Amino acid sequence: MGLFNFDLNNPQTSIEWMIYLTGKYLKMFLDGTWLTLYIAVLGTIFGFILGYIVGIVQDMKTGLGDNPVKKTLVRILKVIATAYVEVFRDTPMIVQAMIIYYGIRQLGVNMAPVFAGILVTLLNTGAYMAETVRGGIGSIDLGQREGAWAMGMSPMKTMIYIVLPQAFKNIIPEMANTFLTNLKMTSVLNVIAVQELFMAAKTVGGNYYKYFESYLVIAVIYFVLCFVFNKIFNFMEKKLKGKKDYALAVEYMDNQ
Amino acid sequence: MGATVISIKDLSKSFGKHEVLRKIDMEVKEGEIICIVGSSGSGKSTLLRCINKLEKQTSGNIFFRGKEVRDVQREVNEYRAKVGMVFQSFNLFNNMTVLQNCMLCTRKVLHLSKEEAFDRAIAHLKEVGMAPFINAKPDQLSGGQKQRVAIARALCMNPEVLLFDEPTSALDPEMVGEVLNVMKDLATTGLTMIIVTHEMAFARDVSTRTIFMDRGYVAEDAPPSELFSNPKNPRTREFLSRYLAG
Repeated sequence: MGLFNFDLNNPQTSIEWMIYLTGKYLKMFLDGTWLTLYIAVLGTIFGFILGYIVGIVQDMKTGLGDNPVKKTLVRILKVIATAYVEVFRDTPMIVQAMIIYYGIRQLGVNMAPVFAGILVTLLNTGAYMAETVRGGIGSIDLGQREGAWAMGMSPMKTMIYIVLPQAFKNIIPEMANTFLTNLKMTSVLNVIAVQELFMAAKTVGGNYYKYFESYLVIAVIYFVLCFVFNKIFNFMEKKLKGKKDYALAVEYMDNQ
Repeated sequence: MGATVISIKDLSKSFGKHEVLRKIDMEVKEGEIICIVGSSGSGKSTLLRCINKLEKQTSGNIFFRGKEVRDVQREVNEYRAKVGMVFQSFNLFNNMTVLQNCMLCTRKVLHLSKEEAFDRAIAHLKEVGMAPFINAKPDQLSGGQKQRVAIARALCMNPEVLLFDEPTSALDPEMVGEVLNVMKDLATTGLTMIIVTHEMAFARDVSTRTIFMDRGYVAEDAPPSELFSNPKNPRTREFLSRYLAG
């Protein structure tokens, strides 16, 4: 039996087993891939939103002449934000998954594993993104804000129109990184019975006692997913950098 | 000279134990062009930043058209919309084109329509000779061009007073001229201006009043003809002689 002459009904080598398992459990692998993507994408998007909110809260300064109620409120928000970031950055995601899933079950709420998976991913992402956003905001020169303040823009509008767009551009590579990490980190969600890729490999491997081969299959899938997304992000980054040149507005050249 | 626009009463500012401004009293009248000169660290820029409320004074008050500008964000915003500022480091919004830079605040603060904001932006960009560059981003412009856009951006707000914080200090000598020329043109329009500068010739020729600051005090406040040719304060004399000696 040559290298290119597979007997796929009677697999012998590891490659043959990989192809055999992929073919036989195609639906399971595809479903797993889909679920992995689903959790990673939703968890990341909502995590980014949460991260932006928490990051902005952490960056909040009490403004000129704010009343004591607002000052106290800001302080409370900041404490909550800091505590949240610390707790989720200082514990493993796999443990968070267990605690959240079983914790909520114990409260008597029956939560679907997929929902719990998304929740864990977004909470985890939010904590990391908050720090990234805070760093991104900090990286924008204070002069940018002063330029807007000096013309009467409120701190909130300045944040929205001037600071965040620039911070966003600066942290795109980090956001891409976070997404790729999430794509891979969904694998720990098998501990709360989410039927993602890792779970698929575990199940398939168990059926034939071919763990090496079935994990190799998902390794390839993870690799391809990450590789493709990485390329997409690089492309987006380039696009966002904008054009290097600009068109002179010739219609206004007359008075030069 | 017209009515008083800004009056500063007993203004002091310290950074920690370091006193930067000591009991400044100052009146700014309509149409005045006030140049503030003095050595580095004398408090010129801090005074200007206090006037725009970018720094909070330690004590004292600022009045705009007779009404105190209190430390309430909304009041400060309204006040700043009428008192423009041009910075040493330009502070153009890097994420926006020249046109967007000039339209953002007229749209978001003054709530002008798109057409009005556009017309105003073009008019003022023409004034400073930057209209052909509306599509450029700040990092595609030279320092002098950036500063001219920054001046146009400030003018779009139709400010009652325009503050300049060392507008030419970050520019190389060739570009200083183009910015100063724009400012000279502005001076003829009757706009009230307060200019912190190291350009002594400009201060002498253009200002209606020159203030010499020394260690946080207003050491001398006189018309330029007097201050430059016949300084009363020994510190002014010392400072000017060093400048004239180059």
